[in-house]
Amino acid sequence: MRLELNTLMIRDIHFADKTIVTDRVLRINREELQKLLLEDPRFRRIDVELAHPGEKCRILQVVDVIEPRAKTSPGDEDFPGVVGGQVPVGRGSTCVLGGTAVVLSDYRERREVGKSTDPSGDIIDMWGPGAYAGIFGKTHNIVLLPTPSDGVNTHAYMAALKIAGLKTASYLARAGKGITPDATEVFELPPLTEIKDGFERLPRVVYIFQILTLQFDPIPGEPVLYGRNVPDMVPALIHPNEVFDGALTSPMPTLHVQTYQIQNHPIIKELYKRHGKDLCFAGVIVTTAPNNMTEIERIANMAASLAKYTVGADGAVLTKIGGGAPELTLAKTAQLCERLGIKTAIATLHMAADISDPKYGATTIFSMPEVDAIVSMGVPFMRLTLPPVERIIGRAGVSAEGAPVNGEMVRATNYIKGTHCQIGGSRLKAIRY
Amino acid sequence: MIRVVHYVNQFFGGIGGEDKADLPPRLVEGPVGPGKAVQAALGERGEVVATVICGDNYFAENIERASGEVRELVLPYKPDLFVAGPAFNAGRYGIACGATCKMAQNELGIIPAITGMYEENPGVDLYRRDVYIIQTTDRAKGMADAVSKMMNFAGKLLGKQSIGRPADEGYFPRGQLVNELVDLTGAERVIDMLLSKLRKEPFESEVERPVYDRVKPASPIKDIRSATIALVTDGGLVPKGNPDRIEMTTATRFGRYDIKNVDTLDPADYEVSHGGYDSTLVRQDPNRLVPVDAMRDLERKGAIGKLHDKFYSTTGLSSIVDIMKKVGQRIAESLKAEGVSGVILTST
Amino acid sequence: MGIPAVQLSAVIAVAEMVGSNRIMLAQKIVNPVGNANLDPDEEKKLRRSMVEKALTALQAEAGEQVVLR
Repeated sequence: MRLELNTLMIRDIHFADKTIVTDRVLRINREELQKLLLEDPRFRRIDVELAHPGEKCRILQVVDVIEPRAKTSPGDEDFPGVVGGQVPVGRGSTCVLGGTAVVLSDYRERREVGKSTDPSGDIIDMWGPGAYAGIFGKTHNIVLLPTPSDGVNTHAYMAALKIAGLKTASYLARAGKGITPDATEVFELPPLTEIKDGFERLPRVVYIFQILTLQFDPIPGEPVLYGRNVPDMVPALIHPNEVFDGALTSPMPTLHVQTYQIQNHPIIKELYKRHGKDLCFAGVIVTTAPNNMTEIERIANMAASLAKYTVGADGAVLTKIGGGAPELTLAKTAQLCERLGIKTAIATLHMAADISDPKYGATTIFSMPEVDAIVSMGVPFMRLTLPPVERIIGRAGVSAEGAPVNGEMVRATNYIKGTHCQIGGSRLKAIRY
Repeated sequence: MIRVVHYVNQFFGGIGGEDKADLPPRLVEGPVGPGKAVQAALGERGEVVATVICGDNYFAENIERASGEVRELVLPYKPDLFVAGPAFNAGRYGIACGATCKMAQNELGIIPAITGMYEENPGVDLYRRDVYIIQTTDRAKGMADAVSKMMNFAGKLLGKQSIGRPADEGYFPRGQLVNELVDLTGAERVIDMLLSKLRKEPFESEVERPVYDRVKPASPIKDIRSATIALVTDGGLVPKGNPDRIEMTTATRFGRYDIKNVDTLDPADYEVSHGGYDSTLVRQDPNRLVPVDAMRDLERKGAIGKLHDKFYSTTGLSSIVDIMKKVGQRIAESLKAEGVSGVILTST
Repeated sequence: MGIPAVQLSAVIAVAEMVGSNRIMLAQKIVNPVGNANLDPDEEKKLRRSMVEKALTALQAEAGEQVVLR
């Protein structure tokens, strides 16, 4: 399968009469976009705002972030099962509006706390230390602020919000079609049966990618894999290009990984880079992280068997999504791989961060001798002081700290979207002093 | 001119060996024994104005009292820096060095303090979280090197320079995790690590495997029909309004809530302070987390003696093991005092 | 003399790792001693049987870890 990602580096965005890219500036017809999104009866009204890097601006209640992308090869469709029909993605060509992002903000007046659907104060700062820490303070952001129609419940609203984001990403990127790109990346990987030309002598490496955690109740109707939520999914082998190209989104509450990061999947990109040199990239196994032991064992067994007996992997890289149960699923899967003779390395955030004692310092919630190669991607609970801002986009939600939303605030980095990345995007590492 | 006070034991203080180990602290002006090496390292920049000498047994057997006595002796000398030892592998001396450094940092006008020990010295485990302890050899033969490292490091503390990583600076890790930006992304590092492993090359995991204490299991309940059973949860169930302000994450507190004469937990009375799981189902029916209704049935049937009048609740999410250990101890002490014979602990 | 305690957890591997002595498998993380798919009566019956089982763990010697699934 061969995919060409053609990136236009956008240097500015603003509202205009027509949605068009000229001279690397994205002009957006706000009314047209709003009209498109209001086709969804679950919304009564949709506000759209723009935020620019360096602007003293804070975006509130951020639920997900999506990079504008649209297919440009004939017969292909964007975000299949959501925006377009059920057509496979990962082949042909795709236009990417680099330097921009669609930001989804929960714009309801009242919301329930303690649910997967509560963004609990997740923010993006466009300037200062918050913008430095996170990746989304560095992009030109198109922020969607939808108001639900009467009687629309939380789940319906959240699913609609995600769909609106994908529609917007496709709508905007279509404006980039036909323009000579600033960069073209080609991702090509043959079927496992056609590995040859010396590649067969390199260690076969598979990536085991958790895409959904069941520690939160999955949101019915939220598109996760090819347009559907997939709580009952069994481990499946997919082509890495499908991950880049709109088959997958990050399920709410998008803990430490947003759809934007999946579209630019750092580990898959890196595996591609080493493909043919250090290793032979043998594909991606997508799995879920269940919420009980029996299911965790079932999923871990199936994933490890798939890696061993179908892919014939020599090595596996594993990551998790979400919190505790996913971490255990991750470790269990790695342990089973090791027992089948597959070498593993995992990358994880320190969730159970014991900052007080190195000896009993539980920075993982598992302790398995076989799982001995762990990369630290940092502790997501370090605090940052964010200076006041002049402009707020979004509605103030329930914030644990209770600080005024435009004032100086001290926030743990897990609240600053884009600071941490469960799939290897950041250069953060936790070091014990 | 940097004013330094130095702490040594009876042996390095030149008073005697084990026979003098019961000696209470005394102060001598100027440097004594290894203090001369400290003075040499200071050179023109400072002066060892006084030396405190104390017997190892005296100190180790009365840590708090001895620390206080040392403090009283040292206060009039208004030091800018407190140096203790190095203690090498001498256990009681190590404890005294750690304790006096901690005292100096906290009670002598917040001055920097430095000591040195061998890795197996019990003083390391006891005090490394509180004070900088430079890694030394196990024998006093390494004195010159140890003192020079300690004084170099002390210079950084005095100059308020940034302190590097434990391995680079030669001190024992104090346990704090700090996020740093490194050259490579997580993606690059995890693939590097896997390739090293595949090539059978050495690699270094960046996260240590946790080790946990084991607690001796308590004896089983002999007569369940007369037993008082308490319900405890780490799922964050609290009365409406969260009166004890139990944190939704990284909790430090617990609550103790009355259920006397309560047949079943009423959803109208409770909320959940826990940010790590979807609490919808528990908020709909709190008995799904704290099974009061079922326990009352068993109580009525006589299957247990009594359901304890209080249930205990805290929040287990990104918890710090040390803090949770203390929370657990306090809950256990309280249950013990209330005459509870067994506990059902529900975890989310 | 300690107080015997049984930990009910849906993710018993964590309880095993941290060294709980008496462990019992719970239903789900989101409702350890419940099952929202059942009728209220059935659910309460389930809960009663679960706490009864938990009581047996409190009456068992726990030389090694006791794990009830």
